[in-house]
Amino acid sequence: MKGFTHFISGIAVATFFPEAVHMASQEHSFVLCLGGIAGILPDTLDFKFARYFHKSEFEVWPDPNKLDATQIASTVAAAVERAAVNGRSTVQLHTMQLGANLWRSYTLWFDSASSEIVVEIGPIVDTGQVPFPGSEPKENNIARIKTSCPFFQPFDKKSSISIMSGPCFEFVKRDDGRVEIVFLPWHRTWSHSLTLAFCISFAVGLFSFFLVPPSLHPDLYSIPRWLLYPLISFSAFAMHLLEDSTGFMGNNLFYPFTKDRTKGWGWVSAAEGIPNFFCVWLSFIFILFNLDRLRWAPDITPPGITSYPAYFFFFLILPVVTMVTLFFKYAREKNASVEEKDFDSPSSSDRDTEVSST
Amino acid sequence: MDIFDLLMHPQNFDLVYYCVVGVIVSLLISFLPALHIYNVLGIFLLFVLKYEMTMTGMQLSALAIGMIVGYSILNTVPSTYLGPGDESLSYYILPGAQWTAQGKGFESIILTGIGALGGIIMLALLAPAFLYILPGLKNITTPHIFWIIGTVIAYMLLSEWPKGLSQSRNTWTNFFEGWFYLGVGIVTFFLSGILGFIVMAKTFVPFEIAFQSITPVFVGLFAIPWLITNIINVGPLPHQHISDSVDLDWELLSRGTFSGFLGGFFAGFVPIVTAGIGGLISGHATAQRDGRLFVMSYGTCKTVYYVGSFLLFFVPGLSLTRGGLAWIITPLSPNITLQEYALFVGLMIFSAGLSFILLFPFTRMVIWITKQIDYHIISVVTLILIVPAIYALTGFGGLAVMTVATGIGLLPVMFQARRMNLMGVLLLPVCINMAGYGNYFLELMGLL
Repeated sequence: MKGFTHFISGIAVATFFPEAVHMASQEHSFVLCLGGIAGILPDTLDFKFARYFHKSEFEVWPDPNKLDATQIASTVAAAVERAAVNGRSTVQLHTMQLGANLWRSYTLWFDSASSEIVVEIGPIVDTGQVPFPGSEPKENNIARIKTSCPFFQPFDKKSSISIMSGPCFEFVKRDDGRVEIVFLPWHRTWSHSLTLAFCISFAVGLFSFFLVPPSLHPDLYSIPRWLLYPLISFSAFAMHLLEDSTGFMGNNLFYPFTKDRTKGWGWVSAAEGIPNFFCVWLSFIFILFNLDRLRWAPDITPPGITSYPAYFFFFLILPVVTMVTLFFKYAREKNASVEEKDFDSPSSSDRDTEVSST
Repeated sequence: MDIFDLLMHPQNFDLVYYCVVGVIVSLLISFLPALHIYNVLGIFLLFVLKYEMTMTGMQLSALAIGMIVGYSILNTVPSTYLGPGDESLSYYILPGAQWTAQGKGFESIILTGIGALGGIIMLALLAPAFLYILPGLKNITTPHIFWIIGTVIAYMLLSEWPKGLSQSRNTWTNFFEGWFYLGVGIVTFFLSGILGFIVMAKTFVPFEIAFQSITPVFVGLFAIPWLITNIINVGPLPHQHISDSVDLDWELLSRGTFSGFLGGFFAGFVPIVTAGIGGLISGHATAQRDGRLFVMSYGTCKTVYYVGSFLLFFVPGLSLTRGGLAWIITPLSPNITLQEYALFVGLMIFSAGLSFILLFPFTRMVIWITKQIDYHIISVVTLILIVPAIYALTGFGGLAVMTVATGIGLLPVMFQARRMNLMGVLLLPVCINMAGYGNYFLELMGLL
């Protein structure tokens, strides 16, 4: 899911703690923001830290002055072969920058049917990925290298490598002898585990235990104030993992006790508009509901929502039915056109890991 | 139909006249480079208020409606070709500049215009529902606004991802390369936030013009860095294609309008949050990818933000004053009736239609101007004019603030960070002040 989806879901989770809503409205506490921060934290850790510390055994540094698709495909094939022998290997592909706003693009496709690594060098593009027609190289622009071992990948689409930093792949030999291609091996591993959620919440709890003063009105609190902080952190973090499980890529919930990412449920793609908005809207509706029902002095403060059945009918049931209908309508249309594979569009895994950086 | 009858009633026909005047004035204001609309409108309305005795509150409101609707639609044109005037437009810079660089500036402007019309239609359709929904929404959110702004700040800072090529063989080189851009963004946000605290605590401009104290800040943060970029940018403006049609379908139209409406409404409802921030959030919430969708929803977002925040003031019984224009109108329109609300909606639709019609010749005219005059020269002349204008308006104190703000405003331009971080100038002090911690910060900075 997109960063904002995780962020607002985390806030929604936090508003289910009556004491947190009370602290926000009566004590000017920013405790509800903690839910949002913990909600987006797993992706923050991956894209701002983990990606830099992942080391690949193979790296592809294409020379823009001496374009050679075979050299790229050979390096990737060598990494696959290494995995077939040693069990695991990784390859990092780099981009080719030609100028401040110019890049040479190329694509990589793992053809599992013929066990071939296919590389095609494409046109020059600008940073907006707009291609310059006619700039494709005339020779050495396509290469197919066959590997001795069969391989498979859950997402059988081309990866387009053009601007900024390139993608990374891990190759893992499975029990059936085939090599699995794992996209972005540093993503959704330790950072997307319940183990880390527990550790971070524990650290937050330690801080809050010593720093957060007890309430002046302890009778208003069913749980100690300091305990709210780790509970909110854990719940929001866990919500992130739950939301990511609905996609294709999955998580590694019990790292370091489990080695690999589990597959996601594959219900939705992380970059699709409707599923993201579905979660955002649900979160928004529950935030308002919680803020209203948990308002201070409900006997003397007028409610914002005068009829909960009407509220849930008009703002929850109707929009949800609309979104679900539209989602399945688009899914049917997509399935109908699946015969024509668009190899230049982002793959499911790309979409699952897309980071908004507007 | 009732609204049409109301507008056509001879008693209200003068309002249409004031509305037309407002749209025409907004067209001229759009040309004033690099000034935030509320500051310009403030000066203009100061002039108009001389005729206060002969103008009713609703006539002044009609003038303001024409100006705000017209500005929100027409300002995209000079912003696309001559540089943006306010923060809301800075969100549009990247895609707008890309389209213009490809000679598709005209198409991008028309798409934003269509988006703006869609936003106005949605506002009009939802106007009756606002009567029932908004008072409740206000009741729920009022005690929580400070932390809602806090979450906006947190998301702005957390949602910026590292840039860079990561092509060094050294891990730490790659790490610092990526974090350099993030660091610039964070530094920009907090520096502009500190500037905001200072400007709000100590007025640097003469007290009689104190309502303009934020003008030099905005000019320094947004306008001058953009003009400097224009001047040092060596690339000429490519030939602009005037297209006969726009690549748009109903799905794109509805998605763009919907997404933009959400962002614009959020920005209009929550104080200090602007269209740029609202657009960013709604774009992420609806997972926008298509460039056309982005450009169109930007048009909706900006218009709904400007017009919607003004409309909130006219919702009977709500008394929600958002945006500079509503504050200016407040003393003249103390009690809003349902009829005035209906008139607002009618005048809003009328102004939007008129502005959209004007959008086509206005765009052609600006393209023609940029063909006749090198846009580097326009930028230089603007820069030469803007400095004495700020001095005339706010004195040496204003110039000093503008200079400091320019230094901060250049940071994201030079280091390719988000310009939106500059909104820390309002977000940080307002959030901290609303939470009740403002005095601690002022004491810490020695301002109290």
